[in-house]
Amino acid sequence: MPRSLIASLGALFILVSPACSNDDGGFVDRPGRCSDFDELRQVYWGDTHIHTELSFDANMQGTRTTQDDAYAFARGEPITLQPYEEDGTPTRMAQIDRPLDFVTLSDHAEFLGTIKVCNDPEAMGYESRQCRDYRTAQEFDATAEEVGRSFVEINGFTAFPPDLVRYPELCGPDGVFCIDAGMDVWGDIIEKAEAAYDRSASCQFTTFPGYEWSSGPASRNLHRNVMFKDTNVTELPYSYFDEPYAEDLWARLKEECLDPDNGCDVLAIPHNTNLSDGIYFENRMADGQPFTAEYAELRLQLEPVIELYQHKGASECLPGESNSDELCGFEVIPFATLAATNLNRITPPNPKGFLRYAYGEGMKLEDTLGVNPFEYGITAATDTHISAPGLVAEDDFKGHGGAGQPNRFLPAPVGFPDIEYLSGGGLTAVWAEENARDSIFSAFRRKETFGTSGPRIVVRMFGGWEYPDDLCSAEDLAAQGYAGGVPMGGRLGTQVGEGGPKFVVSARQDPTGAPLQRIQVIKGWLEGGEQQIQVYEVAGEPDNGASVDLNTCAPLGDGASDLCSVWEDPDFDPSQRAYYYTRVIENPTCRWTTWQCSAADYDCSEWNYEQCVETQTSSGNSYLCDCCDPAAGLNVEWCEAVDCSDPTSLPAAEARCCVPRVETSIQERAWTSPIWYQPPG
Amino acid sequence: MLRALLHYFLIGGLLFGGKALLDRRQSDGPEITVRVPLAASQAEIDRSTREAILLNETRRHGWDRRDPIVYSHLVRNMRFIEPESTESDSELYRRALDMDMHGHDPIVRARLLYRAREALAYVPDDRMPTRRDLVEYSQENAERFEREGSVRFQQVFLSGSKRGEALAAEASAMRDRLAKLEGASPKGLGDPLPGLRSEQSATPSKVRAEYGDDLASLLEEDVLGVWRGPVSSVYGLHFIKVISREPDYVPSLDLIGPEVRADLLRDIREELREERMDALRDEYTVHVERLP
Repeated sequence: MPRSLIASLGALFILVSPACSNDDGGFVDRPGRCSDFDELRQVYWGDTHIHTELSFDANMQGTRTTQDDAYAFARGEPITLQPYEEDGTPTRMAQIDRPLDFVTLSDHAEFLGTIKVCNDPEAMGYESRQCRDYRTAQEFDATAEEVGRSFVEINGFTAFPPDLVRYPELCGPDGVFCIDAGMDVWGDIIEKAEAAYDRSASCQFTTFPGYEWSSGPASRNLHRNVMFKDTNVTELPYSYFDEPYAEDLWARLKEECLDPDNGCDVLAIPHNTNLSDGIYFENRMADGQPFTAEYAELRLQLEPVIELYQHKGASECLPGESNSDELCGFEVIPFATLAATNLNRITPPNPKGFLRYAYGEGMKLEDTLGVNPFEYGITAATDTHISAPGLVAEDDFKGHGGAGQPNRFLPAPVGFPDIEYLSGGGLTAVWAEENARDSIFSAFRRKETFGTSGPRIVVRMFGGWEYPDDLCSAEDLAAQGYAGGVPMGGRLGTQVGEGGPKFVVSARQDPTGAPLQRIQVIKGWLEGGEQQIQVYEVAGEPDNGASVDLNTCAPLGDGASDLCSVWEDPDFDPSQRAYYYTRVIENPTCRWTTWQCSAADYDCSEWNYEQCVETQTSSGNSYLCDCCDPAAGLNVEWCEAVDCSDPTSLPAAEARCCVPRVETSIQERAWTSPIWYQPPG
Repeated sequence: MLRALLHYFLIGGLLFGGKALLDRRQSDGPEITVRVPLAASQAEIDRSTREAILLNETRRHGWDRRDPIVYSHLVRNMRFIEPESTESDSELYRRALDMDMHGHDPIVRARLLYRAREALAYVPDDRMPTRRDLVEYSQENAERFEREGSVRFQQVFLSGSKRGEALAAEASAMRDRLAKLEGASPKGLGDPLPGLRSEQSATPSKVRAEYGDDLASLLEEDVLGVWRGPVSSVYGLHFIKVISREPDYVPSLDLIGPEVRADLLRDIREELREERMDALRDEYTVHVERLP
């Protein structure tokens, strides 16, 4: 190439020909391109919350796997896991038994550039103290203290209050080094998502570019995952450091993506509201004022769905609330904030951080503003920090890192690989015409989504006014469902006739999981300005006697492979706002903690808590220490004699009887997006 | 959006490329001063130099005054500083430029550098992988791009939960009924199950994940056009008629072009970026000033 031509950027652009501008090869992602297209929609499984080595916390925890590795893992290929030997040999591997259909990788936006700056000897900022500390902490022989110090020193910025938050010093004045580097990383993220997307008629795998906006003032979680419909994206992955308030993030996304009317579409998915210490759904904008209608509209537009469940617990409802929902205790973790989770410091969760509260408050806001900003559909995810989307099996639990136990240091974990209160996380399912970007993303937009605690329980829900009572026997249930009403996530139309709304709910078990026990419809409504909740059993047998052998994890008793019911609300009042969502409940199975203990060899008569604490500090966990700790729920009979009225006065071992316990067996489940009812006028 | 911007830059490039060539005839090339910290390493100096050159190039060609993202960002900044202002966006933008806000704002800087790097990595026609390159690459790596073949089949399902002890007898009756169907559609027969369709196209591995080995194995057998079964799954009993079968295949390059091309282009871009940066660097006279 002649030097005179390449010597200026202007000249470079002379060479640009629109006809060959970039790599789409003329591909048009038209509806109906997939060979299994179905206008009545089918179920697709995905994970929209995944971290790789690009996330600072995962990176510090020894995660070495890349976005390419995460995509390969989601397609069913194995992945290496930390801890690694000095020569890079992994000590653990993981693989899922069934591929996922779609994923969004959501590395933390805040430090995309930081990691690059600190690893690039040519980067401004590379020689900063923070980068040097980071690299020291990355050394094979780094100590836990060195790792902890660097983590707090850098990740701690996400816990600053929004009016003080800024980029770490290593990023230079105004964060410029990291913004520059982050933009390059963002370009790579988009390129990788594009390359991993299956454009063939097989439509085996769909990717959505994304990132996580990680605001955590005083460690109160306000994180959101930002998910773009395709590679038509904003220029920057806007982080907490760039846009410290959620409404500023939404404004950015609206201004750069939704408003230009160029096909760009994006949504933000709230999650871990359980760790927000009750502030996630506060009726308070950045300026301290209550919501305006404009704010509520924007929030609803950008946040149609919420991640109800992931490895850091469920955010559905809290036991002991003023309702009689006995199944609210599922995977509720005993922490109020992110820091409490990181430090395994028991703190009571705040009920205002749970979705039930938000649904009630949303209906009240709709009364006054005309818009319900919390009209969320439901999803679930892993929030894996080891690049392992969809790794949800209780009997193959590796720990997902993140706020949990990092497993960075050798030896490979013996005993629990994570804090006992955390879990494997869940999956999102969507009802969509085909496994292609437009179709899947549209399902998110219209909230035809459901979340599960891991198993691939398939559930369908329609709401209408005139469904026939025998709809469950109709081979064309889905066609009649759409024709006579709305699917999950929809809004019921005007009341027809005198009766209440009718819902057809149909579910089938995971073919490799446990049978179903029952289907419930949870109704919430406003009465006298306050939310009321009622749980209706609509199919199956709540008292079917099923259980599980905690020694072997063998299931006991029968359940149903599929359940279906047409249910009419017997207490319907057309003047009251209401929502209805479905919960499908499996028969009991072992929780991961119990699975690991059932496979281990230990004798609790040899348990010595003080010795366990000492050993844990020096050489890691053991099954004896983990399984015999009453927190695991298995060695608890002796605890009946312990008086927990003042745990601080007890010997350390006995005090363990007074900490929250995980369930030994769980009832895995699926949650559908609600169907909403608004009274006329 | 990116494509629109690329076209935008094309016009800018056409206008200013000529000017750049003309400028070059009149001097030995631009001269800039790069300011770095006193203790900056050579690598940091090199990095700063490259960035300064790229920023200088973008400014020489006026990109900082015409980029739409820069425009919206500066307007937003101005509205933040002057929330009460009633001036139009364009007036605010003009004043932001007068204040040299575009010269100091970190987002603007990042934006310009990003676009400059993108421009450096632009792949011209003569470096784009040809179809032949892509064919060769996809053939050499066929297993990477191969897709599992799919099977189009009809299905009738009888639910174990619904039919209970009558399942076996009713399956027997259904088998007789299906035998008499001949080529007619089975629509309306059997029980519903969420996600199950009377006719669908799916890969055996997808069927295996949804209904288990027995059903998937039946689909894999080389029998077309007859009702077979029942085979059992955790849900009950299934009758299957395979209508057609597609073998495993490597999709055409029209479909997997981006996958194949992504691998190849990654290397080509890196090479071009370095080549062009070196050429630019040669054009410049750079003074390095160390600041305490």
